Amino acid sequence: MAPHSPGTDQIDILLWIGFVAAAILVVAIVGGLLYALRRFRAERGAEPRQITGGRGFQLRVGMALGVFAAAIFVLSIVYTEKARETPPTGAAGLQVSHSEPLKITTTGQQWQWRYDYPNQAFSYYKLVVPVDTAVELDLVSTDVVHTWDVPDLAGKRDAVPGKTSHVVFRADQEGTYFGQAATLSGQAYAAMRTEVEVVSPEEYEAFVEGEKKDIQAAQDHVVNLIENGEVP
Amino acid sequence: MSVPARNPELVVDGFPPRRPRWVEIATSADHKDLGRVLIAGALGFLLVALAELLMMRLQLAIPENTFLNPVTFNRMLSLYGATAIFLFAVPLALGFFYYVAPLQIGARGTALPRLGQIGTWLFIAGATVLYAGFLFTPSEAGVNPLPPLSGIAFLPNNGVDAWAAATGLATLGFVLLAIDLVATLRRLRAPGMAWRRLPVFSWAATICSWLVLVIGPVMLAAITMLLIDRNFDGIFFAGDAGGSPLLWQHLSWIFYSGAYMLILIFALGAIAEIVPVLARKPLFNRGAVIGSLVAIAVLGTLAWMQNMFTAPIGIGWMYFAMAMSLALIVPFGLVFFNLIQTLAGGTVMMRAPLLFAAGAIVAISLGLAAEIEHSMVAVGWRLQHTTDSTAATHFALVGGAVFGGFAALHWWFPKMTGRTMGETLARFSFWTMLLGALVAFVPLMLAGTEDGQVIDAYKFFGGAGVTTYNLIASIGAFVLAAGILMTLVNAILSRDGGAPAGHDPWRGDSLEWFALSPPEPHNFDLPPDVRSARPMRDIRQAIAHRGARAERPAGESQPVA
Repeated sequence: MAPHSPGTDQIDILLWIGFVAAAILVVAIVGGLLYALRRFRAERGAEPRQITGGRGFQLRVGMALGVFAAAIFVLSIVYTEKARETPPTGAAGLQVSHSEPLKITTTGQQWQWRYDYPNQAFSYYKLVVPVDTAVELDLVSTDVVHTWDVPDLAGKRDAVPGKTSHVVFRADQEGTYFGQAATLSGQAYAAMRTEVEVVSPEEYEAFVEGEKKDIQAAQDHVVNLIENGEVP
Repeated sequence: MSVPARNPELVVDGFPPRRPRWVEIATSADHKDLGRVLIAGALGFLLVALAELLMMRLQLAIPENTFLNPVTFNRMLSLYGATAIFLFAVPLALGFFYYVAPLQIGARGTALPRLGQIGTWLFIAGATVLYAGFLFTPSEAGVNPLPPLSGIAFLPNNGVDAWAAATGLATLGFVLLAIDLVATLRRLRAPGMAWRRLPVFSWAATICSWLVLVIGPVMLAAITMLLIDRNFDGIFFAGDAGGSPLLWQHLSWIFYSGAYMLILIFALGAIAEIVPVLARKPLFNRGAVIGSLVAIAVLGTLAWMQNMFTAPIGIGWMYFAMAMSLALIVPFGLVFFNLIQTLAGGTVMMRAPLLFAAGAIVAISLGLAAEIEHSMVAVGWRLQHTTDSTAATHFALVGGAVFGGFAALHWWFPKMTGRTMGETLARFSFWTMLLGALVAFVPLMLAGTEDGQVIDAYKFFGGAGVTTYNLIASIGAFVLAAGILMTLVNAILSRDGGAPAGHDPWRGDSLEWFALSPPEPHNFDLPPDVRSARPMRDIRQAIAHRGARAERPAGESQPVA
């Protein structure tokens, strides 16, 4: 897994900060425990010292831990705010969406993802987006709770019926990124995967126009069938 | 002329049994009988939960396995979640509280014994309903059955209803037991047993009972709403009809977060009894430990939205949940610090309970450290719903309920049965369990963090880079299960075959060691007189003092008793 969006870059940094903080605490606790258990074995034959700690000592230890927690809290807010920002579309991106992110309505349904592009084209399973372009997915669900998760591009978000959640990212490299739905949604949950194909703006335009034409052609075909009386 | 005994002792033989033992237990309102029912039941369901876990780990041993079909896997998952939490971890903690706390405070029973009796048997009834459901259709909605998936439209069979009825009955039972414990701990303390002298484990019992009184009704309300939605066209969780699916998430996470804390407070309370006695030192700072346990209950429950970072809730709520979660570093850190400081300078007797207590501290600290990362909002977006969260939760709860629970089991087993558990088998069991837990959960952490493997899925795909991790995790799960099995076998063998323990095998500090092993139905002939936080130590010293006086040369008059 490697971050390919400004948001996931920030998440990656914060993940390392969290890992270091967690490692410090684990090493301190487990190390202290093992040292005390080995150093003060009964076999050494000493008398147990009947000492207890005073309130001031506890207060100082508590304060130190509190400062540690507060530092993590502040760093988390700083990096979370950075990760939440909608990045501006870059020079190589789709220029139409320079001021606003490219909005794609993403619908979770048992057990696939549907992507509705601004020009009424839509696709299932595969999302095609232009590189270096700010993209905003508006997540909705038609049935149960699904979680959209393509870890290289963005943090995961739930699609909850009756609510809209938002995911923003800006893919910095062309390529294919895989993702898997991350909330149990029924029988075929494990097969509910998705794929984000990041292409150049020209290829993106061609794709959505092609999709639109295909969909239009299919609709015309159905209309023709009905008019010819071939469909009751 | 008769010679008075130098150390007169009140010895009472039990009343002759009138009915078979099982009838006595089934109709008993005695806290010791009910505590044993809860503990034995919980350990039995530990075995069932293990079997379900192993089935799932077998399915996930190799990519795209077809050992279990998706529906069976989801049923296993749902049963495993309900069994591990509602039928194992919480009743085990409450069972130990219910058995030990009245003895520790020098009470002759509980304040509202019939309530405790109903509570215990409601737990058994809930367990029966869950596994009677197994005969037809268990729930397929997962560990936490989120609506709308758990609604009638998506799971029309009665599996979710059975789940709701089972967990509801068990939760109601826990609430009744908690009421009895709260009343007992408030009203029936022995003379001199002020709150400031209450043993830490009894403090943990008080805190957890109040916690159950807060979170239990919340879960009962949620379950009732779910049943109304499913059976009477309710709209509590229907997003399009004015309800909200998020309501269930809030209510259920309040319960699950509180129960998580309950299990950890239980384990830390038991460890805080074991460590000072086996280090032959007083607890480094009792007040700090007790205050920290209170803080853990409050902050941990308030952090419920920590589980909802991916849900559509405001960012402010996420920061609030993060603040509560990260604040937990202070009380947990203080408890661990005090436990280690208690060991320092003592004479540490490395007996089985202390071994399991040390294992519990290691596993809990690993799990909670990983939870710190999950609490950091942006990192939570990456790590939540991955196997890293499975592993973190399992480290913390296996550390609390299994390692901590086994520490408590080895510690109080002599009191319950009059016999100690075999030390050799305990050591084998411990090292197997520790190895198994590390081998089972660390690879899952890596699979979740590096490759984002998602939770609750019945299969994974070969190209995702997690194949090796999952195979190792499955092997580790079997090793862990073997270790757990050894302790359960040890308990069964030692029940009648263990070395006789005597009444105070550990030279304990608290009053349960003043009672006989196993205690008489009325616990104590004389209500003990409490003068300090270590009353049993005072009693031992008084006896030693009197013994020393008795050794004086003949001729002096000796008062009897």
